[in-house]
Amino acid sequence: MHDVFVATKDALGLLLSGNPGIWEIIGISFGVSLQAILYVTPFSLVVAFLLAYGDFKGQRFLISLMHTLLAVPAVVVGLTLYILLSRNGPLGDLKLLFTQTAMIIGQMLLAIPIVIAMAHSALKNSDKIVWETAKTLGASHTRAMLTVMFEARFGLFAAVIAAFGRIIAEVGCSMMVGGNILHHTRNIPTAIALETRKGEFAQGIALGLVLLILALGLNMILSSARHRFETA
Amino acid sequence: MTDEICFENVEKIYGDRVLLSVEAFSMSAGECTLITGDNGAGKTSLLKIVSGLLKPQKATVTIDGNPLSWLKARPRLQSLVVYLHQSPYMFDTNVYDNVAYGLRAAKLPDAQIDEMVWESLHWGKLDHLTHRNARVLSGGEKQRVALTRARITKPRFLALDEPTTSMDRKSRHQTYELIQQLRQENMSIVISTHDIEPFLDIVSHHHFLEAGHLHPIDVPMRSTDNTSRAVVTTFHRHGS
Repeated sequence: MHDVFVATKDALGLLLSGNPGIWEIIGISFGVSLQAILYVTPFSLVVAFLLAYGDFKGQRFLISLMHTLLAVPAVVVGLTLYILLSRNGPLGDLKLLFTQTAMIIGQMLLAIPIVIAMAHSALKNSDKIVWETAKTLGASHTRAMLTVMFEARFGLFAAVIAAFGRIIAEVGCSMMVGGNILHHTRNIPTAIALETRKGEFAQGIALGLVLLILALGLNMILSSARHRFETA
Repeated sequence: MTDEICFENVEKIYGDRVLLSVEAFSMSAGECTLITGDNGAGKTSLLKIVSGLLKPQKATVTIDGNPLSWLKARPRLQSLVVYLHQSPYMFDTNVYDNVAYGLRAAKLPDAQIDEMVWESLHWGKLDHLTHRNARVLSGGEKQRVALTRARITKPRFLALDEPTTSMDRKSRHQTYELIQQLRQENMSIVISTHDIEPFLDIVSHHHFLEAGHLHPIDVPMRSTDNTSRAVVTTFHRHGS
């Protein structure tokens, strides 16, 4: 127990002293995950909208597929991407393996089903009256869709936050396609795995604390936004 | 300028139940049509179909003498008819932006939007609510915002779905006044309602919807006796 306290104290020291090694890893983590979530969000929200409001063949299958993909482990996504990007793989010529781009692609693949499935639920629960009101007032399909999304924004925001929380904390895919290379592809979860194996608990705890603070911060933002909406 | 929209053989089925089976229904410019019927008779579905918001299983739509497939008729109907829900939806923004929605959708210049919105807010007696979030308004105020928001887009036809349901007397009266003003502006209106009496001054046609079938009935003249009863009596005489 004493060791845990000491390690936590050291971890706080590392964070507060601005240890460049730690903050570089944090920077890589946020850079990669923010890019991944930014790239997938518009596409995923549109797909979620089409699944919630559209009427086409294969719609139910796609919804089931998205929910199934939620359960796919990150390491399986990483393995698939590794095979595709490895030198002898079909995308080997792109030379993306062990780069931040590969990590971004992997995290995008993980985030897409989360955003789509959660946003689909939020949009499905929103009232069709929003769409009808927008359409009857002369809105184009795109404008009506954006109006529906605006009205359901807190549910959609929650979907994006949940996906971001998942990808910034995943280790399997980043480790497989990023390779945990110092100064390049070492992010928070891969660094925690490495430091723990080395017995460097302070650094692991410091990085773990960052993830915990992040999760707390995101949830506080979400609940504050919801509160403002409900009391408006 | 569209003058007449005719619907023939409109059929709407939910599961095994035939909700609507309307042989003929038409809306003409400058007229006010009243649709009455029990709850669940299909009034809302009929109004949504004529507004292009609900797809029927079967329907022949003729706009100004041109028969159109549903695929072509739907966008035309959406551009000609504005439908007002029984409980109008207020976008999560202030009254001004709610009223301006249709004009922004039409991509009018900001200065023109501003001028039209202020004129409309004044028309709907909403000046004092301009910056209030529309979600927190009372039922009557929301209906006034919805009528103002619809009127500003200058639709050819207005479909009002039970516009005074669950309102107190004062709000009902204010809503009637606005609807009467719309008629004075020669707006073509279709109203579904249980409450016939307040509309007797403006109604041109009256249909009774029963078990999905539409029965045209005489429009009674306003008199001091119980007019609602007179209308129902008239309907039964036609039905028998």
